[in-house]
Order: sequence, then C-alpha cells, then structure tokens
Amino acid sequence: MSTIEPDIETIEEQHSLAEALFTSIGDGAIATDEFGKITRINPPALEILGFSEREMLGNWFPKKIVAVSEQDVAMSLIDRPITKAFLTGKTISEKMYYRKKNGQRFPVAVTVSPIMLHGRPVGAIETFRDITLEYEIDRMKSDFISLASHQLRTPLSAIKTYSHMLIDGYMGDVTPAQKKSLRTIVSAANRMNELISTLLNITRIESGNVSILLKPTNLERLIEEVIKEHSLAAADKNIAIGLQKAKQPCIVSTDNLIVKEILSNLISNAIKYTPDEGTVSVQVRPRRYDIVISVSDTGLGIPKYSQDSIFTKFFRAHNVVKQETSGTGLGLYLVKGLLDELGGRIWFDSTEGKGTTFFVTLPKKSPTSSGQQAKKPSQTPASA
Amino acid sequence: MAKILVVEDDKDLNNAYTIILESEGHKVVSVHNGREALKAVEDFSPDLILLDLLMPIMGGLEFLQHYDLASKHPEVKVLIFTNMENSPEVTEAYDLGAYRCIIKSWTAPQNLARVVSDTLDNKLAGTKA
Repeated sequence: MSTIEPDIETIEEQHSLAEALFTSIGDGAIATDEFGKITRINPPALEILGFSEREMLGNWFPKKIVAVSEQDVAMSLIDRPITKAFLTGKTISEKMYYRKKNGQRFPVAVTVSPIMLHGRPVGAIETFRDITLEYEIDRMKSDFISLASHQLRTPLSAIKTYSHMLIDGYMGDVTPAQKKSLRTIVSAANRMNELISTLLNITRIESGNVSILLKPTNLERLIEEVIKEHSLAAADKNIAIGLQKAKQPCIVSTDNLIVKEILSNLISNAIKYTPDEGTVSVQVRPRRYDIVISVSDTGLGIPKYSQDSIFTKFFRAHNVVKQETSGTGLGLYLVKGLLDELGGRIWFDSTEGKGTTFFVTLPKKSPTSSGQQAKKPSQTPASA
Repeated sequence: MAKILVVEDDKDLNNAYTIILESEGHKVVSVHNGREALKAVEDFSPDLILLDLLMPIMGGLEFLQHYDLASKHPEVKVLIFTNMENSPEVTEAYDLGAYRCIIKSWTAPQNLARVVSDTLDNKLAGTKA
C-alpha cells in the first residue's frame, strides 16, 4: 500500500495543476469526453455563452453549443471543428458564429485539440474567443477605405470631365498642342482611378466582400475587348499584341467584370515590362472542366530568387523596379485574390531576360457554394 | 429635347453635367441634394433624373424612397451617377427602381450624353435596360 500512496499524491497534484491551468485560461475553454459530452468548462466560457456550469456539464457539446454559418444556417455535425478533430486526430482552428443562451449570435475563433491516448481520441479541449470587436474593426476599416476612395474620386471626376469637355470643344476651340496636354491630364487621372479601384478591390477581397455576378461569358470576345483597351499602350512601344483563338467557342459561367480586371492586369503588366519591338500574345485553350488562358511576353522575365514572392502584396522584383518605377506591387496580388474568388488558379513560367508566360484557369462553372456569391446588378462605366 | 433634373452636390460636376446636357438641347434643372430634388420634381416633372448617391442633407437613396419612383413615377428614368462602385447602396438604388448605374470617374462627357440619349430612346420605346 505504501508504494502506491506517492503515486496517488502525484496524480492528485497533476489533476490540480490541470484544473488550475484550465480555469485560468483567458479564453473560453471546454473539455469533452470521447463522446463529446462536456466534462469541464471554465468561467470565461460560461460568461461568454451565458450558461451556468450546471446547465453545461454532462450535455452533448454540439447540441448545447449551437454553431451557425455566416448566413445564419446551423452547421452540420460533420462540419463542426470538434467532429473534425475527433475524426482526424489533429488540432482544428476555424472561425464561425456561436449562439449565446439568449439566442444572440456572435463571431468566434475556435481551436479544438483532440486528447489522444494510444493513438485514439479519448476527449477534446476546445478554446474559443469572442471576435466581435475584431470583426467590427475590420468592417470600420473597410468602410473607411470605401469612403476615402469615393472622396478621392470626386475631384478626379471633375478633373477628367472638364479636361474632356475642353478636348471636345464644349468651351471653344483648342489647339492640337493643348489637346495633347489635356489628354495627358486625362491619362494621369485614369491611372489614379485605376489605383483607387485596385485598392478598393483589395479591401473587398481582404474583408470577404467581393460580390460575384455569374453569367455566360464569351472569353475570346472579352479578351479582344481588353486587348483593344491596351492597344494604344502597345503601339506606343511598337509591341505586337494579339489573341490566338481556340478551335471551339470558350463560353464560361463567370463574372465578366472580374475576369476583365484579371486579364487587364496581366496584359498591362506584359506590355509594361516588355521592351520596345517585343511581342505579347494571349492564348485560350478549353479543357474538360476549365479554360486556360495564357499571356506570354518577350519581356524582362522574373528572376528565379523572386519567383516565390511574386503574388505577395507590394512585392516588386528588383529588375522591374530598375526599369519601371510606376508600379505598386498590388496587381498580381489582386489577380490571385480575384481568381481565388472565382475558383480559378494562376501560375507562370519565366526566364529572366527572355520573357514570362502567365497561365490562368477559369472553371467552366464557377463555384456557387462559397457563401460569397451575392447577386448584384453590375455597374459599368458608360464607355463600356 | 427632354426635361432632365441633375442632382449632384459637387458644384463643379453639377455645372459640367448641366453644360453637357444643355448643349445636347435638353432642358436642365440642377439641384444639390435630395431635399432640393423633391421640391424640383413637383414643378419640373422631369423625364430623366441624373442622381448622385452620397450627398449632404438628403442622399440619393433617401430621395428615391420619398419620391417613390417604382410605384408613383414609373415613367421617369433615374440614372445613378456615382463613384461608389459595387456598393450595397447601388444595389439598393436598383431595388428602388433606378434604371442604370454609371461610374462618374470613368465616364467622359460624350458618353454621358450618349447614355442619356439611349435611356430616353428606351423610355420612348418602353423597354428596359
């Protein structure tokens, strides 16, 4: 008997230590047995959820703690992090919404770790944090950028409108030299506008507010439009630009404004970073489930050491910074983000000094279950 | 020639739209917020309203709610002229009966004149955008 007593003491000490640790966790913490029955819950969890300890202990976790999606739909058992943790034996971290005892919905960041014994789960510990404030700050940041962008555009609209009015003769005749200067003003205002659009789009992607309007889109026609829009820039550098069409029609169900933004970025980059007399060619190739668009140039190429960072925000390769100072390092980051929204992919093949080919895939049917698809009437510039 | 009401708080843009539309032969009344627009529609009975969304005193959405475009004035075409691209406000404007939305900073004067003319043609033909 005497040999067992120290072991019991050690076990009790460890038990107290675990209890103290569990209780002192600042986030909500809930422990369950292997069947998901709540065995322990700490004070912050009770405070966040609004239940008493008596109401929680012994109850089945997924039933007592109601999790819902962003669309306020109850999550199925198989999608709950605790189920995933039990099934995979791995720690699962996710964001979702919980309901308090009074029915109020609030956003949470959840981490569930299974307690493994001899290779099988014998329980789980979930910690969760109320992230209402973080969501609110994100929303405020997004609202601020939208408003700031709008306010920046108002004086820009006046600059553009009056320059155009002068060019079009609304205020009397202007000389060819004056027209040329006015066109420079319009062009600079357009560049500023594009930058504001890019910043707005990035804000939308980062805050999960991209609205997608799917409709059947003839990709070749869309590419031809984009090429036409960039033909002047290409002509200025004597760059030959063209589309190599596919043998069959390339119709996809996608958001044509977003695809236009993606292609416009890739083609504008290709022209910008290709020396005079070079070539930019666009190719479309339908596959079984998707369509591959490639944009090839005979430009500067991406140095090997920069290739892993090319889709990172604000990244610009050293060789292009030397040649062209006006880039922001946001274009490819935006392209990648927009393609993620459409369920597409992007990769490239590049040799420094020889050129680059960017490949983009668009699914023939864009995903509809992402929860980010909101049907909205599209808005277009009147020139579109 | 049509009767067009321009509702735009920015004085420079308001002035520019008035010059452009008058040069196309339209009769134009211009105001600077939704409240002024509500008064103007009573006397002027416009065929088309060029409406900004974000304005002081009364914005474009509030104007559309009070004006009750969809049920009381279905014959009047409202063109939303805004820089709030892809915003929920634009969706709401469509819900309230707006005909088309145009992004100000991308639209040259000749295109504005063309959109107005197309909209008026469609109005006569009784078609939708």
